[in-house]
Amino acid sequence: MTDATAGDRDVVMSCRVRLARNVAGFPFVGRATHPQRREVLETIRAAAGNDEASIGLAGGRVGADAAERLAWIELASLPKRDRQLLWERHLISRQFAEGDSPRAVAITPDERFSMMVNEEDHLRLQVLRQGNQLREAFDAAMRVEAALSSRLDFSFHERWGYLTACPTNVGCGIRIGVMVHLRALRVTNEIERVKRAAKELHLAVRGFHGEGTDAAGDWFQISNQRTLGVTESGLLEEFAGRIVPAVVAYEREARRVLLDKQRTLLEDRVFRGISLLRSARLLGLDEAMKQLSSVRLGACMGLLPDVSLDTLNRLTIQLQSAHLRAQDQSIEGDDDERAARARVARAALGEWP
Amino acid sequence: MAAPFRPCDHCPKPAVVHNTVIVDGKVTELHLCEEHAAAAGIQLPGHAPIHQLLGQLAQVGAVRPRGPACPECGHTFNDFKSTGLLGCAACYQAFTSTVAPVIERAQGGATEHVGRTPARSDDSRQRAALLQQLVRELEQAVAAEQYERAAQLRDRIQELRPAAPGAEGVR
Repeated sequence: MTDATAGDRDVVMSCRVRLARNVAGFPFVGRATHPQRREVLETIRAAAGNDEASIGLAGGRVGADAAERLAWIELASLPKRDRQLLWERHLISRQFAEGDSPRAVAITPDERFSMMVNEEDHLRLQVLRQGNQLREAFDAAMRVEAALSSRLDFSFHERWGYLTACPTNVGCGIRIGVMVHLRALRVTNEIERVKRAAKELHLAVRGFHGEGTDAAGDWFQISNQRTLGVTESGLLEEFAGRIVPAVVAYEREARRVLLDKQRTLLEDRVFRGISLLRSARLLGLDEAMKQLSSVRLGACMGLLPDVSLDTLNRLTIQLQSAHLRAQDQSIEGDDDERAARARVARAALGEWP
Repeated sequence: MAAPFRPCDHCPKPAVVHNTVIVDGKVTELHLCEEHAAAAGIQLPGHAPIHQLLGQLAQVGAVRPRGPACPECGHTFNDFKSTGLLGCAACYQAFTSTVAPVIERAQGGATEHVGRTPARSDDSRQRAALLQQLVRELEQAVAAEQYERAAQLRDRIQELRPAAPGAEGVR
């Protein structure tokens, strides 16, 4: 196995396990008054505490000798740009980034765990891992859930399971998902078939930033829609054992076909992409994501030995608007931003000329 | 509190009657101005002669204002229809005839939870129900400006609320 395919990193960018819970005794967020939302927030904060150990996460990480602190960030007092930053990093939803009601997100320093309080449900937690590490992400999510449920009463119904504000999320309240890069399937026009197959399996296929976003630059999030009548571990097995391997194999096959039958077309896309990212002086976000996608495909297929996957994965985040503006305070208009995006891309990939 | 403007179903005048009626098993909304309400035989309180009011009392139950509401949180059927969200855990009971088919459709026909259950025992579930009851009473006490009672309720709620980590030992 080559480095590029370890942990399915050539196709799977990252994986997530998310859980929705509500605290018994309070109305759901949409119905709760601001003082009630504040109380929910304080109740959950008190139960979760301020470090990884108190939510069952310490000790699992190589190189970390002590439990890290959990950063609690109140959204209402956060500047707009920082809210967007959190959204660009997949730590909060767009809905959560907007508005002024009492809500907060707790994040570990490595950003592999985050927990939104007072999004649509009182509690939405997520464990994020690079590549395909679904089983590890799942175990971590279950540990956090166990730790929290020993101190909080979650709304639970004998028939419907864990209750959520939206009735279609009841049951396990779990979402298992992978972010996959399906560049070759896009080139070979097979994406629609993937989407149809996913729908038949009760899976949701969404864009780079989840619900309501277009799949910019060939990144797709695939997650389960069924949460009732299935066990958590049953869903995990279906995902890790069946769905992800099938999607990965399908994309790899499309890549192999491209290399065999349309090598010139493939090389053209990849080399144009890398030339553009190394030379552009003004770079819009859509164009950047599109070229990054082609370059990533080339890097995974050995066409660009000097470009690392880590660099490309990092760029998909670093080239987003709020990230550029956080790095460079002098950015004002769109042209400044496009110039900054081009600079960051050139610096990361090697400038030419 | 002024209701948002909504025209009558039959003319552009503002509707003063908002009813949700169930006809042949289908939920229909009714918005009528004063005249059309009168034409439909619905009298506004205060406008109606006493004999008509008495007559209407007999119909209570058949026509409920603003659609059925959750007894726990006041969320109405219309709220659910417009947002797709429920107001609280008790809404699942209050709107069960509508919510159950919605869930089953979204969940590929599944009708029952089979996954993990709360770590805490039945005892804690009863405690959760009591907590819910007390929170409701607290809101009523505050609304009625019964501050002494509200303070007592608050203390009891705080006793029942989960402790901070450390209190039960961190595992």
